[in-house]
Formats: sequence, C-alpha cells, structure tokens
Amino acid sequence: MKFYKDHYDVIVIGGALAGLSSALMLADKGLSVLVLERHNLPGGIATSFVRGGIEIEAALHEMMSIGPEGNRLKVGKFLEDMGVNVDWLKVPEAYHASLPGIEVTLHPGLETFAREVDKEVPGTYEKVLKLLNLCHTVFDSVNELSIHPMSKPMMLLMHEAFVKTAGYSTAEVMDTFDLPQKARDLLAPYWIYVGSGFSDLPFTIFSVLMADYIGYGSYIPRKFSHEMSLKMAERAEEMGVQIEYRQHVEKILVKDGKVYGVRTARGDEIYADYVISAAYPNKVYTSMIEPLSEVPEKALKMVNGRRLSLTAFSVIMILDKPAEELGIKDYSIFRGDTMDTDELYRDLAGLGPYRYLTCICHNYGNPEATPEGTCSFSITTLPRVDGWKAVTADEYDAVKHRVAEQMIDDMSKYFGVQLRDHILEIVIETPMTVAHYTGMWNGCIYGYAHTMEDHIVARLQTAHEEKFIQGLEFAGAHQISGDGMGPAVTNGRKAAKNVLDDIKAKKEAAAK
Amino acid sequence: MKVKGFLKDVGGASRVTKARLSAFENASSTPVREDPIGNVAREWHPGKLELVVDRIYPVSPTAKTVRFVRADGKKLPPFYAGQFISLEFNVNGEIVSRPYSLSSAPYEARQEKGYVEITVRRSKGDGFIADYVNNELKEGDRLLGNIGLGQFYYEPLRDAKHVMALAGGVGITPFASMAKEIAHGTLDMDLTILYGSVSSDDIILKDQLAALDCKRVKVVHVLSGDEPGWTGERGFLSAELIRKYSEGDTSYFICGPQVMYKFLREEIKKLDVPARRVRFEVFGQAKDITAFPGYPAEKKDETYTLTVRRGIHEDRIPAKATESLVVALERANIRIDTACRSGECGFCRTKVLSGDYYVCPENDGRRGADRDFNYVHACAAYPLSDMTIKIPIE
Repeated sequence: MKFYKDHYDVIVIGGALAGLSSALMLADKGLSVLVLERHNLPGGIATSFVRGGIEIEAALHEMMSIGPEGNRLKVGKFLEDMGVNVDWLKVPEAYHASLPGIEVTLHPGLETFAREVDKEVPGTYEKVLKLLNLCHTVFDSVNELSIHPMSKPMMLLMHEAFVKTAGYSTAEVMDTFDLPQKARDLLAPYWIYVGSGFSDLPFTIFSVLMADYIGYGSYIPRKFSHEMSLKMAERAEEMGVQIEYRQHVEKILVKDGKVYGVRTARGDEIYADYVISAAYPNKVYTSMIEPLSEVPEKALKMVNGRRLSLTAFSVIMILDKPAEELGIKDYSIFRGDTMDTDELYRDLAGLGPYRYLTCICHNYGNPEATPEGTCSFSITTLPRVDGWKAVTADEYDAVKHRVAEQMIDDMSKYFGVQLRDHILEIVIETPMTVAHYTGMWNGCIYGYAHTMEDHIVARLQTAHEEKFIQGLEFAGAHQISGDGMGPAVTNGRKAAKNVLDDIKAKKEAAAK
Repeated sequence: MKVKGFLKDVGGASRVTKARLSAFENASSTPVREDPIGNVAREWHPGKLELVVDRIYPVSPTAKTVRFVRADGKKLPPFYAGQFISLEFNVNGEIVSRPYSLSSAPYEARQEKGYVEITVRRSKGDGFIADYVNNELKEGDRLLGNIGLGQFYYEPLRDAKHVMALAGGVGITPFASMAKEIAHGTLDMDLTILYGSVSSDDIILKDQLAALDCKRVKVVHVLSGDEPGWTGERGFLSAELIRKYSEGDTSYFICGPQVMYKFLREEIKKLDVPARRVRFEVFGQAKDITAFPGYPAEKKDETYTLTVRRGIHEDRIPAKATESLVVALERANIRIDTACRSGECGFCRTKVLSGDYYVCPENDGRRGADRDFNYVHACAAYPLSDMTIKIPIE
C-alpha cells in the first residue's frame, strides 16, 4: 500500500501552530507539503479535551498579536490572509494583579493602563505612559525589521529606540524611568509569559510583550484553542497540504550535508527537498539526523550553549458554581508573594511551592465556556525544566498531587472559598503531560530562555550562520521569536520564508 | 551600567551578538541526549506493549482472570486503580480491540515480576471476544495492550475520602483493583462496595475480595435472584440500600452493565448528592444502537459503502448501519487505534469527508470544533449513507 507521494517539496514535522503556519504559507505559494503529526489531532498544546461531557481548554491563556477586527495585528492578519477565520473573542481585561499590597484589575490600552496605574500610584501617569510608548516604538521596529532587514546605519536612522535599547535588560531600562516600586510591580505581571527575570530579560522582548498585550488586548477563540488549530489544519488540507496524524518521525535523512527526507516510527521513508522540524534542535542534532556524522560540532555547541526555558504545570478545574458565587471576578489573575522577577525565576527551578500563579477563568472571556451553573478555573505555574528533570516515574504522582494541592490551597485562601469542595472535574497537566502528548524535548514549551546571552536581536543577526544542514529548517518555540502561541505562528512563517527564499535563490542561481 | 547612559549607546546589538556567539563557543560539543521528563512520560505511557498470557484461572463459576506479563521483561507502567487496558485480540485473522478495567492493583504491576490482570465473564452468546477470552486464549499467547487508560479512578483532590462503589456483574473489576491497592497501603481512601449479582454463583472475585482483610474496605453483596438460604442483602442497588451504607461525605463510583446505569441514574437522583460526587465509568459500546433516540429505524438493515482514505491510499468496504465505523474497519482488517470504545477517549477520531452518520448520544465525547468540521469518534458513529472517511495510517 502506498500512503505517500514519491516526493514532496517540504515535509513538516509537527502539526502544531508553528508547523501549520509553515504549511499554510508554503501551500499558498503552490508547494507540495506533507505534515506529519505524532498525536491524533492538530495543535500540540493548543488544543482542548472533554471531561464529563465538558470541553476544557488545555493551554491557551490569551493570544497576543491578534488585534481587533479591521485592524488585525500580524498573527490575526496572517490567519485571515490564509483564509483561517477564527471566531475571536476579546479578553475583557489585561489582568488582575494580586501582589503584596496590590489588588487591582488593569485594562488594555496604553493610556488606560497608565491611568489605572496612576490611580494606584499617583503621579506616575507620564512616566508609565512614556515607558509604554517606548515599548511600542521598539515593538513597531521589531515587527518591521523581522520582515525587512536593513543595514546598521539605516536601522539607527529609522529605528533609533530599538537600536539604543538592544543592549539592555528590562531592569536596566526600567531603572532609568525612576518609577516607585509599586508602579514597577504593576508593570511586571506578564513577565511569566516570556519567562526570564528582568535582570536577564532583553528589554526588546519586554517591549513586544507590553506593547502587544497592553496596547491591543488579547483574544481567545470561541471554541478553545482547538478551534484555531483545527481551522488551520482544515484550511491547510483545503489548500492541498497532506496532513497525517499519529506519524512519529524518528529520523531526518541527510546526505552530503543536505536533507532528503524522513523516516517514521512505522518505517515509512518519505522524500522531500526541505524538512521543517518542530522537534527541538537538541533532539534533532543528537538523535534524529541520520547519519549523525552529518551533524557538525558547531550545531552541538549551539544547542549546548542555550538554556532551556520554561515548561508548564496547570491545575484545570470545572467548578460546580458560577464564578461570581465563588468570588472569582476576573478572566486572569496573576498572584505572587513578591514581584521580584529574578527571585521568582530562581524559584521556578524547584518543585514548589510555587510563589507566582497565573489563573484563568474562561467564563469571563466566553460566558458559554462551560454549562450553566458551572465555571472553569485553571491555576498555572510555569516551572523551569530543571526541577522536574529529577522526578522519577515512581515519585511522579505524589509530586504532581502535592504541587497541585498547594496551588489549589493557595487560591482557596485567596478567594476565601474551599475550591476543593466544588470540583466537578479536575485535570492536572504537568511537564510530563506535555512530553507525553507532544513529544516536546523535556516537556519544554518555551524553547530557549530569552536572556542577555541569547538575545532576540542576536538571534536575528546570526540566524543565517546557524543553518548547519541544507534544507533543514526549524519551527517552534525554540526559534527566534521564542515562546507563546502568537510567536509560534511567527516562527512557523519564518521557517517557511527561509524555504521560499532558498528556492528563489536557487532559481536565480540556475538562471545565471 | 551608567544610568541613562544607554540612550547614547548604539553598540548594544553587536554586544549581545558577541555574547551569544561566545556562549556557543564556550559550550561543550558532547551530544546531550537525556530527556528525563520525556522518559517519565514514556514510562507511564509506553503505548502498546507486547504482553504474554502468564496464567489463566477461574474466579467464579462463570468468570476467569487472565494474567499478563511484559514480553520484554521490563517493568510494567504505573496506572491508577480503576483504569483500563485496551487489548488487541487476533480472532481468526481479524484484529479486534477491547477495553477491560484492570482487576489487578497498580502495585502488582510495579513489583518484581509484575503483572496486570483482567477478569472476563463468559458471555451469554452476545460477546464474541468474551467467549474468545474464556474459551480460546491460552497461556503463552502474545498480544498488544495499552495499559492505564480512562478517567475512572479516585482523585484525592476531587473525591470524598469515602467512596461507595456501586458495582454490577463484571463491573466489580475496577473496584477490586482499588480494594487491593488500599489493602496494600498505597491508596489512601475508604471503600464500601455494594456489589449486585443475580446469584451467589455469579459473584466474581468473591474469595479474593474476602481475603483482603482490610478495615478500609467493606464489601456488601446484594443478590437480585431468589436464592434460598442467602442471608445477605437482596434486591437491586436501590436508593434505600445506598443510603443505608452511606456515611458522611461520600463519592459514588458506578460501574456495571448498561441497564444498571439507567436504573442507577434514577436512584442517585433520589439521594440528593451533588453532581461532583457521582462518577460513572464509560458506557461501553451501545448494545443496540437502534434503541437510541433519533436513530432512523428504517435504515437498520442497510449496508453502505465506506470509502476509507489513509494517506493517498483508498479502500472501499461494506459498513452496516447498526455497526460503528470502527467495527466496519475491523471487519475489513483496516487498523484503527481505539481504546475506550465509548466515544470518550478520542483515540479513533476520524474525519468524515462525505456522507451521513449517526452518533450515539450516550457516547458523544467530541470537541465543539470537531463537530463543526465533521469529525467523529469512529467507535460511536454509525453510517446512514455511503461515506468517505479519512483515518490515520497505523
């Protein structure tokens, strides 16, 4: 039986957001594309599941880079351009911050946000707005430069703020604004979405984070992230992409420094000119390339020189009362016993108790998210992979329950309601759950840490030197834009663009 | 850094680039393959394992227990007491899968020379796999099994510490697993089992349960048949009887035949316990799909053509209106991954490209967007016209 064509232009390993974005873009340009996904549905962690007849979001808190209808940001626009029409719902607020001495709900819009911070910390409006505007300027430059690279002098002329902040951490730039500690704390809660403490987080990344989320608000698909993933997969198939589920790629076949296909766990050898891998470079360069002698030392040094970022631990519950009856008043709550991000980051290397929790009540984004009389409530922490690496299979269940219990107890104290007395359904997602369903290297959903040593500006500048095998591209959180579902789409597009550029260059060379 | 000095600094980009390249330069070139988090995930969920039938022994006049060990001699995966195994049987060349609650305890799988067990009752002529297991399966046979599936287990963060099991017939098996794990000291809960059987001969695992000798496990046998000399409880698992044995905050776990589910849903309502305290094991494959609301009875004798796409390959097979798409595929020897066969687990998620179908309302565990785009769980979907579907290549 023949299940595959003799040859594809591109094989995409992994049918999550990055891989599907690559596939959409390549199919749009008329290339023949095969997507091989190990699970039996698309999306990776951008998915949902059903428990007790109730559909539950698996991972998405809020999508960035979508923007309102008629004024879409890059991810929203890309999806629309590709004919992927997601039913987006706007998340009503930025976040509720529950920090020492702080209980406040802040809303998107740079001026709105600055005004609300000013209400908490009078006299800070001008400075906060100035900081947010600086973020926005840098954000615009990043978006522009990621599409149209330019020379350094040109860059300095047109993207001065971007150039001048590039060498500094978030903490260093914030220091220059001389803000009271409380105002700084109110600006910090989203840090966990980029996963580095401020003394090591490039200001460039902080800028993108703040300008995007605070500037334009965030969105969720009406039918959970599975709606987005499935619509991308359906549209890709409509455009001629072949998607095969339950196909686990074990080997990437390379000869004379050039990729020529893949082999799956069931033994199919499939051929292509290009392979885009959502599997981590760590895994690809250490065990997937066949033969391994094709892996240059430089590739190994690169993966060993980078630090894996965060994984996820979520307690997702369906509660048997409406949210308001349980004292849950917001879509998203960031709760910490400090807002010292460096200290919190160090803490994430352990196995709890975790001191910074992110809670989502989907019903505030979509009142129909759960059946009447119930609500969904999730508590998430995003630990570093380090601590979880030490957990054995025999200890796993006890550790998982201990951590989950601490998180539920902490939020129960906060609400003054014993949440455990209201649980209809509960699912505990751990780094191991992520690894199980997606195969992600060490369950790491964030890729490599955004640090001053692995700066996005540096990533952009040296990307072309980090191609070690011809025809092999990567798409996923481990790529330039890093973690998050919005950046996943951007990373996928970038991989597709690299393929298209290479094809174009080869054609031009042949014409000459 | 000099505060406020950065606004004059135009060398930042070069500096961070150098920092990054030097970090690579200083890194080791030894391949690091360790993925410990992935390893734990694989130890818990290794997928289909080759198992060997180690022992078959009777546990009642009508039921047998089958013990499996791992063919490669490695440790069996951990699971939660109450979960099931999906086994693939090769019956006259046809590969058919079935879920069975594990009647052995998790600790028995993880110990030295570990094993898992299922307990199967001889059918009354309607279960060809049950008959196969009872009559033909023998020691030394090899088959594939996926261990540790399903949501029917005690969750300490959700459930009451005291669980009342309402078991009927072979539905005792998940509770036997829990009882053994409790007696072993590795499951912290109290269990009262109300176990309904027709006659004392029908009681499965009676001696094994009696032998546990654990204060935290109580077994109450309830006979519905008119058996002379029986001094225990009689009748069905009524609200009245349930109330009699309930104490304090109790979670009710229900596992048994489909008729029992119908009966118990009504009885449970009378108890006035919150929804979160009641958990039913999955329903199982519908015995008679034509009996469900909305099923078009006029189509029940039809056989349709099912076009099955796998990759670029296509097959055409017959499919009866009263049999699920999974059964049609198994009859045609086309492999599809299944587990719960109750529409819940989604293993057999299938795209319908064309044609009409009926989904068993009792077993519709689909995601909203999947419904919108014509995905079905093939174990719970029945053809109502010629159809074209796409399934994964196995």
